[in-house]
Amino acid sequence: MRKPLLLAAEGLNKSFAGFHAIRNLNFYMEEGELRTVIGPNGAGKSTFLDLITGRTRPDSGTLFWKDETDLTRLNEYQIFRAGIGRKFQTPTVYIDHTVFENLLLSLEGARGVWANLFHRPTKTQIDRIHEILGLIQLSAKADTKAGALAHGQKQWLEIGMLLAQNAKLLLVDEPAAGLTDEETHRTGELLLSLAGRHSIIVIEHDMVFVRQISLGRKVTVLHQGSVLCEGSADEVQNDERVIEVYLGRKHVRPVN
Amino acid sequence: MATAAHAESPRETVAHAVVLTDNADEQRRLVSGLAGNSDPDIPRLLNLWKESGFFIATAPAGGWQGLAEGAKVAVTLGDDKDADDKQAASVLATGAPLRDPAGQPVRLVATDLDNADTDFDLRLAMKTVLDLAAVTAADPVQRRQVVEQIGLAQDPAKLPVLRERVKVETDAHVQQALRVAIALLELRSEDAATQIAATNTLGAVRALSARDALTTLARETETTRPQVARAAQAAGKAIETHLQVVNFFGTLFRGLSLASVLLVVAIGLAITFGLMGIINMAHGELIAIGAYTTYLVQNLFGNGMALSPFGWSFRLPGLNAGGWFYESYFLFALPLSFLSAALAGVLLERCVIRFLYRRPLESLLATWGVSLVLQQLLRSVFGANNVQVYSPSWLSGHWTVFDVLLGWNRVFVIAFAVAIIAGTWALLTKTPFGLLIRAVTQNRAMAACMGVRTERVNVLTFAFGSGLAGLAGAFLAQIGNVGPSLGQNYIVDSFMTVVVGGVGNLFGTVISALGIGVTDQGLQQILGNPVLGKILVLCAIILFLQWKPAGLFVTRSRNLEG
Amino acid sequence: MRRNFSRSELIAVGVIALLGLIVLPALNSAGLISNFAINLWGKYLCYAVLAISVDLLWGYTGLLSLGQALFFSLGGYMLGMHLMLMIGKLGQYKSDLPDFMVFLGYTSLPTFWQPFRSFLFAALMILAVPGLLSGVFGYLAFRSRIKGVYFSILTQALTYAGSLMFFRNDLLMGGNNGFTDFKLLLGLDLRTPGVQRGLFIATVALLLLVYLGCRWLTMTKFGLVQRAVRDSETRVLFSGYAAANYKLFIFVLAAIIASLGGALYVPQVGIINPSEMTPDKSLEAVVWCAVGGRGTLFGPVLGAISVNALKSWATRAYPDSWLIILGGLFILVVLFLPGGIASVPGLLARTMRRRKKSDEPIAAVPATAVSAATEA
Repeated sequence: MRKPLLLAAEGLNKSFAGFHAIRNLNFYMEEGELRTVIGPNGAGKSTFLDLITGRTRPDSGTLFWKDETDLTRLNEYQIFRAGIGRKFQTPTVYIDHTVFENLLLSLEGARGVWANLFHRPTKTQIDRIHEILGLIQLSAKADTKAGALAHGQKQWLEIGMLLAQNAKLLLVDEPAAGLTDEETHRTGELLLSLAGRHSIIVIEHDMVFVRQISLGRKVTVLHQGSVLCEGSADEVQNDERVIEVYLGRKHVRPVN
Repeated sequence: MATAAHAESPRETVAHAVVLTDNADEQRRLVSGLAGNSDPDIPRLLNLWKESGFFIATAPAGGWQGLAEGAKVAVTLGDDKDADDKQAASVLATGAPLRDPAGQPVRLVATDLDNADTDFDLRLAMKTVLDLAAVTAADPVQRRQVVEQIGLAQDPAKLPVLRERVKVETDAHVQQALRVAIALLELRSEDAATQIAATNTLGAVRALSARDALTTLARETETTRPQVARAAQAAGKAIETHLQVVNFFGTLFRGLSLASVLLVVAIGLAITFGLMGIINMAHGELIAIGAYTTYLVQNLFGNGMALSPFGWSFRLPGLNAGGWFYESYFLFALPLSFLSAALAGVLLERCVIRFLYRRPLESLLATWGVSLVLQQLLRSVFGANNVQVYSPSWLSGHWTVFDVLLGWNRVFVIAFAVAIIAGTWALLTKTPFGLLIRAVTQNRAMAACMGVRTERVNVLTFAFGSGLAGLAGAFLAQIGNVGPSLGQNYIVDSFMTVVVGGVGNLFGTVISALGIGVTDQGLQQILGNPVLGKILVLCAIILFLQWKPAGLFVTRSRNLEG
Repeated sequence: MRRNFSRSELIAVGVIALLGLIVLPALNSAGLISNFAINLWGKYLCYAVLAISVDLLWGYTGLLSLGQALFFSLGGYMLGMHLMLMIGKLGQYKSDLPDFMVFLGYTSLPTFWQPFRSFLFAALMILAVPGLLSGVFGYLAFRSRIKGVYFSILTQALTYAGSLMFFRNDLLMGGNNGFTDFKLLLGLDLRTPGVQRGLFIATVALLLLVYLGCRWLTMTKFGLVQRAVRDSETRVLFSGYAAANYKLFIFVLAAIIASLGGALYVPQVGIINPSEMTPDKSLEAVVWCAVGGRGTLFGPVLGAISVNALKSWATRAYPDSWLIILGGLFILVVLFLPGGIASVPGLLARTMRRRKKSDEPIAAVPATAVSAATEA
């Protein structure tokens, strides 16, 4: 039996002032999947996330969530409320808030003006925050302003914020950028531990990291705004077309 | 004496008439006889007579040269009153001094003489003569004005004169005005056919001046002569339609000129705000600096001026230029206004703004501080009151094209705006400097990596935008008063113009200035109230931004923020 | 952010309450403080309320509104309408109509003026009119995501439009001259020292209420979201908050606070006219906020009082160059003291610590560190 589709993008197009960032893109994802998306610079990876999260609207095409909700009709916060969370390429945290407050703001719960006027964090909520703090190894920094954190810590804090949201689908844009090898590895393990409970799309450049998290899972290669090929990490790495777009024409091996 | 009137000069006729104090009829006949004569002396003489400028002297015993004892003569007295109240007397008929038989000039005392009086009938006759003299004046513009006035007064008594004139008039505009005036006078005719014919003429030529007269006629004849009333209504309607067309184009033209003013004041802002992202609240004061520079240059070309900044006064000497040289001051004022404002811009950039790139809100606040300081400085140097800059005479006329009044100053405004836009566009797209500006404003870091001296480009770009503000000031000085808060009146409008046009897009600024200018004038025409129009335009802008929050033209890009 | 009122803060508030509500009025009635001084301070404190409203928007939400003077004046005008009707036959023309209406040739009171005979209605309008205007404007502006300097420019235009409107005689709000020559409020003679003292006490009470209310607001989770909007609106949106609703709430609240300040201002200065609602007045309020220190609630109060005290002194001592002083002060604060007076103790403490630690030259405080509110 086919699992229900979580996300289905069909015929997406998006141009910026003549630059065709997304070109007739088709992308399907099932519930519970951990999907890695790779592709050279300008392949349209971040723009794809922008389209899913409502930051920009497609020129044409459809984007369905659980076969029923048309995401192109919703704005950012409505899409979030539908269950899609996002971590940005450059860590985007509230620099003037403490780490604890960052997580408190991200914690699932009411988002309305009036509700938040009289909101008091419950014991469960505070426990949950401390649990996440432990997970992202920032327990000692709970009362530090996020702006004072190191780059890697900010990346982790943002992932922690995703966890606090408890979103169905996590969109993770280059979580390993600027991290040490060890931190990268730990990030990978964190993501792997989440797989299954959450559906995750990871965008990444670092192939070691990609291999770590995509073992036995599907990798999608984007090129010039559309899907070039899909398959396991090994398959895509040995695909001539992938090698061609990554390394240039000269290195294409003759097809036997 | 009066028998040879036709052979006399008007001067001699008047001189004869003046002394005929006991024959009012003959006086009137002589004066009326001057009607239709185009001698330029006539209006002067008759006016002088009316103002009691003529005296009647009686030759004493022994007589005067050419005059027997007891003969009366019309004289004028000179301005050289001496200790005995005596003044030099001239014979009115010849203009030559009155001499005694020995050939010595005669001096007379005014109070000893009879003043040449005028009665009501005589003055009426004079008025007719004067009117007709004006109709035959040498200057066609003046002729036309007189004809139009006669037409509006609708005095049928003047019909013959106009009919005479229309036969010989050579100037096409005056010819047209004459026909309209005749038709207007004929509306007062007793004969229905004449009235209808006149009505049709007025309708056919779309005589705007006849609108009220036709309405009145239609009302007056509604019951007595219905066919006349109908004709008058039809003609009135035709004129009304024409008036709407004229008003439409007039509004369009005024809208265009307002748009040009907006454009000229906003174009500098489109550079500093649009391209560089600096909110310069002192932009208005840079405009004022340009305007005061123009004022200064004008005074230096004229009589110089006294300044007393901070209680320390001195006088700048002037060139005392006159004529065309004085009128050409504006050509010198333009580049100087640009330079002075650009210099102020450089100072502003170096001292304040360079610390505030990428902090637009702070630049807004700091430059507002600068704006206060500059306003006060201008007030201290030039005084708190508005000063007047005299426009060159070539800005004060107008053309009339199909009844639409095109003031030269407004035409100049439009031409000036076009020139500035063309210049700015050429500079930005066709010169190496323009290339650098675009490179730095689009990607500062990359430009720096390519070896562009971004700091210097910043200063120059800001100076250029400020200089444009100075030009705007020179230009505003031509169409209004100059005061320390001159720029304040334009700052809100110019920011709105840039925002509506889409920040960073010169073409958008042009289109938005056009849109705002024409809408403003259109609303003013419809509502008949300039302030209400302005408020509605502001509301319209707020609503417009609902539809296009980033303005008309957006330079789209991917991630603008992290 | 302090998550709760600290003991020292509570003590400070208490002391100020004691001083403002009891001690100063008592000294005034005993003749030890002049009526002039009480009146002047009442004016400053109204300005302080206005400054807090600016800070609530700018310092806490990152919305630099140049429309606060408009809301301040609207509050003043609403109470002014009531006061004008309370003049009754005591005016110059001995008519039941306000003088300016008699002057304009009116013989009966226009309909929209009628209900202002009631003080309660006027009080309601002080809340409703600015609330409604800011609600509509804010809804439109935030819906289309107008932010940063665009928001400033638009609010500036709003204020400008408002002043143009009130300058017109046919709005029937007194035109150029506005409202003045007030006589009675709630049946009491406004010109007596006792009533002025009462107004001073009311102003202190309002200021304390506004301070504590805003302090509470900024401590709630709402306050967290509010400052999050300031620092990263994108993140807020992607965390599921409808940022526009939060901004609208705070914009309306700030408008009402400003309006309350204006309503108390008018009976104390005795005049309200359209020059009070020009964009320049809004910018002046922003100056107070910046000088005192934005992003704190104490800062704007300090700024409003100190700048206005400076203004009172400078306009007398240097009438010709006072604008240079104000403008210059503002440039210097923006460039060199972005945190305002409120940040001085912190800066001094840091400097002292560094001095003790080492002899290293003290680096200038990087201005960018404090300018978090300028998200593009």
